[in-house]
Amino acid sequence: MFKRLLLLNGISVICVILFHAAGWGFVAMFSWAHQYMPAAATDFDQLGSIAYYVLQTIEQLVVFAVPSFLFVSGFFVAFATGRTHSNMAWATIWARIKKMAIPYLIWSGALIFGLLLQGTIYSPDKYLKMLLTGQANPAYYYVPLLIQYYLLSPLIIPLAKKHWLPLLIVTGIIQIAVQLTYYPAILGFDQPMVQTLSTLIPKWLFLSRLFWFTLGVVVGFHLTELKLWLERVKWVWLTLAVVLLPLGVLEWEFYLHISGQQWMDPRETLLDSVYTLAVILSFLAFDQIASIPFSKQIADLGSKSYGIYLIHSPVMTFAARGIYHFAPAILGYQIIFQPIMIILGLGVPVIFMEIVNRSPARRFYQYLFG
Amino acid sequence: MDTQTILTDYVKEELLKGRKMEIKPEDDLLSAGILDSLGILQMVAFIEDRFGYQVPDEDVVFENFVSIEALTNYLKANQ
Repeated sequence: MFKRLLLLNGISVICVILFHAAGWGFVAMFSWAHQYMPAAATDFDQLGSIAYYVLQTIEQLVVFAVPSFLFVSGFFVAFATGRTHSNMAWATIWARIKKMAIPYLIWSGALIFGLLLQGTIYSPDKYLKMLLTGQANPAYYYVPLLIQYYLLSPLIIPLAKKHWLPLLIVTGIIQIAVQLTYYPAILGFDQPMVQTLSTLIPKWLFLSRLFWFTLGVVVGFHLTELKLWLERVKWVWLTLAVVLLPLGVLEWEFYLHISGQQWMDPRETLLDSVYTLAVILSFLAFDQIASIPFSKQIADLGSKSYGIYLIHSPVMTFAARGIYHFAPAILGYQIIFQPIMIILGLGVPVIFMEIVNRSPARRFYQYLFG
Repeated sequence: MDTQTILTDYVKEELLKGRKMEIKPEDDLLSAGILDSLGILQMVAFIEDRFGYQVPDEDVVFENFVSIEALTNYLKANQ
């Protein structure tokens, strides 16, 4: 099981890169179409194309990635508490937060410095807000989110040990309630109150994904019972995951259709959450997953996932902008653009981490990559 | 090489990544920030690869992995 969790982390970090590559694919398709064909600044002619549906399917396929990271972190909290202790030691919580926060602050600082060099200057309180809420890069919300969960873990642990079912129900209801706040906007209601509602719970706030972290803690404490239960129902969850993948794509198309909008930024729907749960539980249930091709290499990526996560997004931003300026024709061919983005998004962080690991700068490795 | 030395070398090489830090066998690896969520997964994988011992899920608990000494004792008792 533990080796499989490392594999899950590796697959998840690849999925995060696929998700962001698909996101840039949509930008190339709609907002940058004028760079490679006669088109308006924003052009939706490629909606419904094969490339469009391939990217939509990829986005749907990988939606479990960040919840999986949170699940693994929750699982660690259960491990770090142990059998004989009533709660996790604060020293362990602080050590964990420190190890995440230092690389996060270094990379956020580097990105803010990059903005300064480009002439973008904010007020000091705006910088503080950027750091506290993970706004130096769109992917960085994950770090403040996870830090909040670690701070909340002394409250979660006793409940996860003794009252795990009510805990999962309550956090599940919270998660559903948060997701329901997105729906008026998804369905195309454009009153100001609806927009306010859809941004009421930002994704860096602990309420947004509390269920996944809690699930990890609960599974960590009740692994033996869970394994027995999963053995009986594992095919149900796997079937559900397979069925919900195309349904998720169709669901989003349905929302686009009834909202009357041509495009909406992806939002996690209720169906996505059930799909994510099905994927995670299938991963826990099937031993055979450990022997998929390249499992060792993927598990190795899993062990580097935090560093890759911090670096990949800025790298992909630079890559996409570079292609926009210097080779815009590539933007019109997703079959070329996507592999370039994925290879750079994964390859540059891994190579950079490896260079640091093999150089005299190795002693700074943990400060840079966790 | 004995188990404790192998584990100490692994912690220094792979988990500390060359960071200058003195580790005693009885040191708490979690509160020192050496063993984190990825570190414990890596450690289990390393034990399985290096010692050929598949650690049962139920045994991957704080008490067995809290220090190099605890882990050495666990492996000696179970291998």
